Amino acid sequence: MPHALDVRDVEKSYAGHRALAGVSLAVSEGAIFGLLGPNGAGKTTLIRMLTGITAPDRGEIRFFGEPFARRHVAQVGYLPEERGLYRGMRVGEQALYLARLSGLERAEAERRLRHWFERLSVDGWWNRNVSDLSKGMAQKVQFIAAVIHEPRVLILDEPLSGFDPVNAARIREAVLELRRAHGTTVVLSTHDMGSVEELCDEVALVHKGEVVLKGAVRGLRAAAGAGRYRVGFTAPVIGFTNALGTTAELLAVAPDRDREGGHVAVVRIGEGVAVPVWLAARAEEIGLTSFTPYRPGMREMFLEAVGEQVDLLASSSTETD
Amino acid sequence: MSFRTIALVARREFITRVRRRAFLLGTLLAPVILLALMGVGYLIATASEQQAHVLVIDRAGLLTHFDSTHAAWVPNCLECFPQTDAARYRFAAETISDSAFLASDFDALVEFDGAILQHSKAMLYYDQAPPLTLSARIAEHLSDAVERLKVKEEAALDYATYKRLKTEVRLVGQDIVTRDGDAAGRAVVGFFFSLSLFMLLIVYGMHVMRGVIEEKSNRIVEVIVRAVRPSELMAGKILGIGAVGFTQFLAYTLLGTLATTLGGPLLESSGLLTPGGPGAAAPVPVDAATFLAGSEELAFLLDVNWPLMIGAAAFFFVAGFALYASLFAAVGSLVDTESDAQYLMLPAFLPLMASYLLAVFAMQDPEGTVAYVASFVPFTAPVLMLVRIPVGVPLHEVVISGAGVVATAWLCILGAGRIYRTGIFMYGKRPTLREAFRWLRKG
Repeated sequence: MPHALDVRDVEKSYAGHRALAGVSLAVSEGAIFGLLGPNGAGKTTLIRMLTGITAPDRGEIRFFGEPFARRHVAQVGYLPEERGLYRGMRVGEQALYLARLSGLERAEAERRLRHWFERLSVDGWWNRNVSDLSKGMAQKVQFIAAVIHEPRVLILDEPLSGFDPVNAARIREAVLELRRAHGTTVVLSTHDMGSVEELCDEVALVHKGEVVLKGAVRGLRAAAGAGRYRVGFTAPVIGFTNALGTTAELLAVAPDRDREGGHVAVVRIGEGVAVPVWLAARAEEIGLTSFTPYRPGMREMFLEAVGEQVDLLASSSTETD
Repeated sequence: MSFRTIALVARREFITRVRRRAFLLGTLLAPVILLALMGVGYLIATASEQQAHVLVIDRAGLLTHFDSTHAAWVPNCLECFPQTDAARYRFAAETISDSAFLASDFDALVEFDGAILQHSKAMLYYDQAPPLTLSARIAEHLSDAVERLKVKEEAALDYATYKRLKTEVRLVGQDIVTRDGDAAGRAVVGFFFSLSLFMLLIVYGMHVMRGVIEEKSNRIVEVIVRAVRPSELMAGKILGIGAVGFTQFLAYTLLGTLATTLGGPLLESSGLLTPGGPGAAAPVPVDAATFLAGSEELAFLLDVNWPLMIGAAAFFFVAGFALYASLFAAVGSLVDTESDAQYLMLPAFLPLMASYLLAVFAMQDPEGTVAYVASFVPFTAPVLMLVRIPVGVPLHEVVISGAGVVATAWLCILGAGRIYRTGIFMYGKRPTLREAFRWLRKG
């Protein structure tokens, strides 16, 4: 089965600046795909290609197996990060205008809009002016405009920023529902790693115009955590360090907030070492209190991939699966 | 290109603007602003007029006598006809032939006989319509001279006599070649239309620019561009906003027509048209044409080819708007905020301002070289041709000028489209004119 999106060795430069330097990535049909990367990494450039705003200088993009063309753009829904609506219009009138631009006939557009307005609790705002909308309300209307034509690919750029937890949950649920009901492929560009872990099946991390990490979230986390363990101990840190010897490397250590006088550490045990044997030999010496495989969170993977200092024992990094 | 999409965009642009209170106010207030601008134009024209040579033919010898010392006719009242920078007078008792007048260096010929004492009228002949200010000045000088003559013949002067002797001479203008009536008045009609067009082009051109900047700055363009091509978006915007301007033009035309159609009956019912005042005599049925024909000041309105005038105004609005709106759209696409647009707006703004200034001069001299040439230059033609049309322009000249504007508008739309479709997605750094030119070439 062809990928929903297949980006092959795409390059793009602006006025001497190389925004994308041979980016390749593939998005499976029906997947929720996290497009990650620091500011200025090239994500927006890539999204602009997928929405038909710009074209690659080199390389190719395929859309469900076909070379990406103008006609495919109509099958894409897009919610940009910097969002706006026409201020001089009423809410329903504007939503209807955007829906009709997407190719829907008036009656069908109205039917779908009524459904979405109710679903996202915007009903009652149909005849109000856009300028009366709060930021969150305006975002919901923009989200509706992005999905109203049931696009095959939905691109969401920071879709949850500015939402309170209740409405963020509504949007998350709506995204999952779109995939369930229509098989929509979602490209989610965000810095909110919690959302990535919660929603995304696959990710690609773009840094300085190149893809530095890509794959299924579960697989990436497992690979990144390979050989790493989270160890709880009561021995002095110096004693713990000595006990590791040459077979293991101390990556991080911090006081254990749950056990007074205790510590937790992340260690990497060398390849070929039999972990149960290694552990049994040191358990008493270090005062072992816990031992679990370490699974880095997306945040840690993100920071490591872009070469930033990482606190492996920050709260989000202790998650396991 | 999808016409459904263009129509949707145009409809939104039209409806959201027409229902604003500002549109209604603008439709009602614009004529007032227009009159104010015409006043400014009059002042500019007054400041720039050239000296005219005027031949005064006093057939009855009322105001002049033959001075044998100078072997020339001179006015009885020298100070009544001052030789100024605006006018230089010569006098004669016998009229001259049309050909002799045309061969002379006189710009205007004023002729009257003894009847001027009764009806206060003098004929004003010209080859090219004299400026309004000159006509007013001649009328004023002539009035002074006639008034002095009347006063001189009166033995005792009390207030009632003074009021009776007070004279305002009216000049009845006529083209010496075509025998057409008041060309200067008709040029004012043309100027009114050209000024209306100028204002509509500026106001709605700016609407287009602001609309583009709004869509660009709030990034909504990025959302709709997946469903609408940039060229469709630009076309829809220009069409929709142009339709708003056209609606306003129609509203002005309708208001004008209503005023002239209902004006007659209203005047009639007010009794102003009957000699004895309200109710004094049996009302005489009157329509606008009859009313105008009976009014010496307004009779020239009947000489205006109104269907051509209104048709040409509508045509030049559409073609001129397409031309200028595309330029304003291109400028809007290059900037993020309206304040950034000031400098880039000049290429669109200057030809329009030049059109206005040229129209002011053309009103003074509608058959002069400046008006003639400018009415064929596509960027000034829409405004300038409207000044000339009421004075009398061969149809083929209107067609050639119109074709030039349409062709240029088409080129501007194509060029602006190239800049627009790149510009609307550029943020941050304001592109230079050189970059814009590069987009124009690369397409």
